[in-house]
Amino acid sequence: MKTTIFLLTIFLFMSTALSSSMRIVEMRSEKSPIITFRIQFRTGSINDVKGKEGINAFTAYLIAQGGTQELTYKQVIDKLYPWATQIDVVADKEVTTFIGETHRDHLDNFYKIFSDLILHPRFDVEDYNRLKEDGMNYLKTTLRGTNDEELGKQAMQGMLYENHPYGWTNVGTVQGITATTLEDIKVFYKTNYTQANLTIGIAGGYSKGLLERMKKDFASLPEGKNNVVELPKANPINDLEVTIVDKQSIATAISVGFPVSVTRADKDFYALMVANSYFGEHRTFNGVLMNKIRGERGINYGDYSYAENFIQDGGTRFMLPCVPRRQQFFSIWIRPTKPEDAHFSLREAIRELKKLCENGLTKEQFETTRDFLMNYSKLWVQTQNRRLGFELDSKFYNTEFFVDRLEKELKSMTVKDVNDVIKKHLQFKNAKVAIVAGNANELKEKILTNAESPIKYASKVPDAILEEDKDIVNHLLNINKGAIKIVPVNALFEK
Amino acid sequence: MFVTTYASDESKIFPYPVNKVVLENGLTLISIPYESPGIVAYYTVVRTGSRNEVEIGKSGFAHFFEHMMFRGTEKYSAHAYNDAVKKLGSDANAFTDDDWTAYHLVASSSALETIMDIESDRFKNLKYAEEDFKTEAGAIMGEYNKSYSNPMLSMFEKLQDAAFTTHTYKHTTIGFLDDIKDMPNQYNYSLQFFDRWYRPDNCFLVVVGDFDQTKLVDLTKKYYGDWKRGTAKRPEVPQEPPQTAEKVISMTWKTPTLPMLAIGYHVPAFNDREVDIPALDVLSQLYFSESSSLFQKLVVEEQLVDFVDGSYQNHRDPWLFVVLSRIKDKTNIEKVQNAIYAALDEAKTKPVSAEQLANVKSHMKYQFAMGLNNADAVAVTVGNYLQITGDHESINRIYQMYAKVSAEDIMTVAKKYFTKENRTILTLTQEDSK
Repeated sequence: MKTTIFLLTIFLFMSTALSSSMRIVEMRSEKSPIITFRIQFRTGSINDVKGKEGINAFTAYLIAQGGTQELTYKQVIDKLYPWATQIDVVADKEVTTFIGETHRDHLDNFYKIFSDLILHPRFDVEDYNRLKEDGMNYLKTTLRGTNDEELGKQAMQGMLYENHPYGWTNVGTVQGITATTLEDIKVFYKTNYTQANLTIGIAGGYSKGLLERMKKDFASLPEGKNNVVELPKANPINDLEVTIVDKQSIATAISVGFPVSVTRADKDFYALMVANSYFGEHRTFNGVLMNKIRGERGINYGDYSYAENFIQDGGTRFMLPCVPRRQQFFSIWIRPTKPEDAHFSLREAIRELKKLCENGLTKEQFETTRDFLMNYSKLWVQTQNRRLGFELDSKFYNTEFFVDRLEKELKSMTVKDVNDVIKKHLQFKNAKVAIVAGNANELKEKILTNAESPIKYASKVPDAILEEDKDIVNHLLNINKGAIKIVPVNALFEK
Repeated sequence: MFVTTYASDESKIFPYPVNKVVLENGLTLISIPYESPGIVAYYTVVRTGSRNEVEIGKSGFAHFFEHMMFRGTEKYSAHAYNDAVKKLGSDANAFTDDDWTAYHLVASSSALETIMDIESDRFKNLKYAEEDFKTEAGAIMGEYNKSYSNPMLSMFEKLQDAAFTTHTYKHTTIGFLDDIKDMPNQYNYSLQFFDRWYRPDNCFLVVVGDFDQTKLVDLTKKYYGDWKRGTAKRPEVPQEPPQTAEKVISMTWKTPTLPMLAIGYHVPAFNDREVDIPALDVLSQLYFSESSSLFQKLVVEEQLVDFVDGSYQNHRDPWLFVVLSRIKDKTNIEKVQNAIYAALDEAKTKPVSAEQLANVKSHMKYQFAMGLNNADAVAVTVGNYLQITGDHESINRIYQMYAKVSAEDIMTVAKKYFTKENRTILTLTQEDSK
């Protein structure tokens, strides 16, 4: 039986351009007792000041986790606490989004604090000190020390965008945060928190009067001018450029990536989404990688791929909204393996990518993947908060609502479209590979010499898999031997 | 078959009507209409978790078994199951905790019969080869490895191992490492495990969203009616004797980390009819939330830690109230520890104001209400209370109890549980830190 999820909208979508340069995205639903705000500024880590990498995120956190001119941080917490409301911020490469959600019982009081935080931040020195230390600790201990999976992903992105405005973590660098003063933050705020950079997103059961009040309140920001940084192309990659992050670890995490020239603004992106879903849909057993590496061989917990930058939204398996980028990358994430299985797993992932590039999808594979995405994408927008986030993303990409656009493209897509897009945008020869490993020297030697990477199984496996393994264990990786390097973990994210 | 309908009642925290149907084989269907046009959340709740891993050497088995449930039946092989789930475009997964295991899908309402067909089939007819069993054991090791770089997993392994002497809460859900390594050799035990626990009288179906109740009940009878009750003996979980002396342990970590402190106090099992657990939940908010004096002192003013938390998570058997903090400098561990003790001493002796209590109760009420923002969130919330007590009304009862908690109750439970002899203290520091 073919089943279809219909996206029944209960929201009235509106998008308004005002006489000022700020933009409004509205999703009004009178029935909803919850009101969601997403206030977005077109400022991200690409706007970080040279030598003060991290100032964008630092400013954003100091606003969201600081006080207003009337209230200290403690007073803000005390006011918000009985309402169980929370103010979050997502500070990414190109945009920074403040997210607030409240029950209508507290709307007026909540809005006053939420808007004051953004429009009249306190910039208290004690809050500055606290958040500065938090940022440093995130880089020096959390990222370097206690989260190898995220470490691998961040290391790979750092390599991918070396000498590029995307080239450091959103939080910045240790030296950048160290160099950032409270005065610097005040200047950054004045420069970037402007009407020209502002999009107001609001959803739920709010009154028209509130929106009018918001327009007036946010018009107090300086008019400013659009400060979008011009992005150079990412550096060309020659063969597989491998960096092994040397870190004491019982397992080995691998991330592979290369830039692609399409985003949600482009028609090709949607066909690429289908190819990617077939190859490595995040945290499902749909993908080739997951089935080959975990399902058939039990090597690790999961293996996925992505057609764009992907951050999982909390405990869901869905993508986080409000992290849009003008330049995207394709990536493969191999979750930690036993050290002795890492080389094999890398080989298998690249070999499968090669097969995808050479063979594409069959008509049946295309159709099942298309049908999956047609339904699955409706589940990405089950809450008004996430829906509003994707609406803002669509404004960034200057295209229609993401889920609607995907549906429209899928309806007219053919297997040829997908296979053409694979040929055009995917490849397996040139990529950045980041490996977090406890046996860096040994692994480097194996990769450099293209040593055989045999695999041992706990039990008998089908002959077909053993046959396939014969090919994998010696699969020649297109390694750039001059580029392979070992980096001590403490050297990462330093400057 | 027993059918009960609980209409929505404004005096209760849970705002939706609940339908309850019990089949003759003991399977309980809880269904809740919820405005999610075209979408339904479908949970199978198994009241078995790592708590039930009684036999020596079998820790982690409930979680391992959760993985095996995706390995197929004669009717639907693992590939066929995955293909069906993919075709529906559903969000499907499972999780295991100390007390329960849940299998969940969110999908189109029109897919309901297909979901019930494939889900009932694997609960009734799971069948996998020994080779598949061994292969999946590798994925469990991978799951352990993926979490290992974060010291939190190791901390809870150590804390639970030290705090419990007898009860199975001595091990974490993923299990002792030695037992995980031995999992490939436990095929026969896995068959026994399935027979023992994956039975209708030990499970609930929770369906939330857009569905037709009459059709849902018919489908439940059609697909689950022939599921046989369990006859295998289910081993009792040994009860933990009272702790009589303070336990102090420490551990080091080889890679960069800030020092961490965990203090576990033994507290009772979840109970929605006595005041102890509700009072501890309210105390957790009063003394450890962002608005608490302790948080303000340690995080905001003195900036000695980057987080501090103290809470109880609902458990079927007596569990722990765990205070956890990450300290910015090793030299301040003792100072932070003393500040935590001072806060707990204050809880014993100083009655909180009516305003503080009202704020906490308001926070808890709004937090609950705002969390029910999609069908999946409603289903997992209901499932969580069902697995603990077997009764969805526990949600309403516990919130009614919260409303009654007094300043005196807070002091009483603080005196009763936050004693020196009742606690286990664990500190973690970086191996080479100065």
